Amino acid sequence: MTDRSLLRAIGWYRAPVIAVGLLASLLFFVPFLVVVATSWTSGSFILFPPTGFSLQWYETVLTDRQWLNSFWLSIVVAVIATAAAVVLGTLGALGLTRVRSRALQRWVRTLFIAPIALPPIAYAVGLWSVDRQLPFLDDTLVSLVLGETLLAVPYVFALVSSALAGGDPSLRPAASTLGASWPMILWRIELPPLLPSILGGTLFAFTVVFDEVVLSVLLLPPGTQTLPLKMFTASQEAFSPELTAASTMVSLLAIVVLGGAQLVSNRRNRAARLRRKASA
Amino acid sequence: MSTTTGELAPPERAAPADRHEPGRNRAEARWLLWPPLAFFVVALGVPLAALVIRALDNETGDNSFAAALTMPVFLDSLARTVVMALVVTALTVLLGTVYATAVAVSPGWLKFLLVAALLLSLWTSIMVRTFGWMLLELPRGAIFWLGDLLGLMDEPLGVYQTALAMYPAMVAVMLPFAVLPIASALAAIDREQLNAAAVFGSGPLLTFRAVIRPAITPAMISGGVLVFVMALGFYVTPLLLGGPTNMTVSGIISGQLRTAGRPDLGAAMSILLVGGTIAIYLVADRLFKVSEKWG
Repeated sequence: MTDRSLLRAIGWYRAPVIAVGLLASLLFFVPFLVVVATSWTSGSFILFPPTGFSLQWYETVLTDRQWLNSFWLSIVVAVIATAAAVVLGTLGALGLTRVRSRALQRWVRTLFIAPIALPPIAYAVGLWSVDRQLPFLDDTLVSLVLGETLLAVPYVFALVSSALAGGDPSLRPAASTLGASWPMILWRIELPPLLPSILGGTLFAFTVVFDEVVLSVLLLPPGTQTLPLKMFTASQEAFSPELTAASTMVSLLAIVVLGGAQLVSNRRNRAARLRRKASA
Repeated sequence: MSTTTGELAPPERAAPADRHEPGRNRAEARWLLWPPLAFFVVALGVPLAALVIRALDNETGDNSFAAALTMPVFLDSLARTVVMALVVTALTVLLGTVYATAVAVSPGWLKFLLVAALLLSLWTSIMVRTFGWMLLELPRGAIFWLGDLLGLMDEPLGVYQTALAMYPAMVAVMLPFAVLPIASALAAIDREQLNAAAVFGSGPLLTFRAVIRPAITPAMISGGVLVFVMALGFYVTPLLLGGPTNMTVSGIISGQLRTAGRPDLGAAMSILLVGGTIAIYLVADRLFKVSEKWG
């Protein structure tokens, strides 16, 4: 799949461009490898290079109540917030195609993307202030889940909206002419081709929420911690190999799950392309 | 995830049938658009209103905004944050352009390596990546170890907990957000234009100036705007790497709540930060249609 036209256009600059790209990729690889390496130390401090090899810190993390509880709390918050964000983001993207005024369309689009630009700490202070005004929200996860949902909506919206833009605009009027009601058109005509992007948005939103730490800093009830918050406080209190062992495990989990999803969707796309070629 | 972001979405056309059925159309729009809009009012509008109330609710009777704007710590952190965001944005867009080009022109296995690096960064948490940079930059960390090994360094590294320590980590965290839109803009360039340039004897520099750069500039701008506004609000990475003497605005705000016990000041600073960031985003959005490139 080399791109001949681009290669020719770039000429002899190709080698230096690739060299700089590879150097830049070290910015991604090296910090991760250092985290992984320090986690298998047999000593009790984070040291690079690690001294000896042992999996003792993995055992410590996996048998520690606090680490496990924070992991499950993160999963629960991320599942609820992601589900809400997927529904709201998809509805928003579909709804936008029904707005006829161009100006209104632009404003709605801007609104749906805006949470990406929202500084999380300032937003967290806002949600925290709501909790102070409404004491019954204290000691609940309501404001945290609400906030995480808002931060996740733009990613779903962006993916679904760009898939909608690539769809066939004449399907809906055709179905409507044939007498289908709009909920039926939505369910049978519009949603099926969007499924891959909705799934992509779900994964993206889940990663964003699962990793988000700033809202948890201010909004979690005392005594509870999400995984990133547990990591954050641990890094400020005791910088021990426990921390890098936990980091390694959660990263590997993410790589396996998201990498698997990527492989499946690549294979689907390839199969779909082949089918299209065969029918053409 | 490769289809993530930067596709240049063509403007949606209003389906012709809608024009004849305004009643049906309105019902649809109501059912589809109102739930998310109601959610935005509750999840975004209410907290922002609470911020304003909290900022005005001040026991001493002073104006919290005036108090915040005359605090040297806050003003220093504001300057530090803006400088950091500008430098990080410039570096990220520059490096992101080269990276996206490298992905496009690499042979098979190198391309795989470059894409894998990007995905690794997108999939691992910012917390983990920040730990990696801490371990690299500690006085006797991995960079010192390597320098010592090569005989280049005999003094422990002094960069940890200085303002400089944030920069490489911030660039690394932000880079994917610049690479993704630029890569999809590169993929969308009309190949016939590139061929035509080559046929007429244009060299790489002229082709870049005349064909490639105009085609990827919108993506560079929307990636840059996004990186800039995100960098303004970054919390964890600057806090852990820059340390307590080099806090960005986010660090100062959380300090007002967590240690100083002045939520009114924290709220006032939050409003200033949100206001500034959203204003920049809105202006950039009007000028460069950033959100249309993102959805």
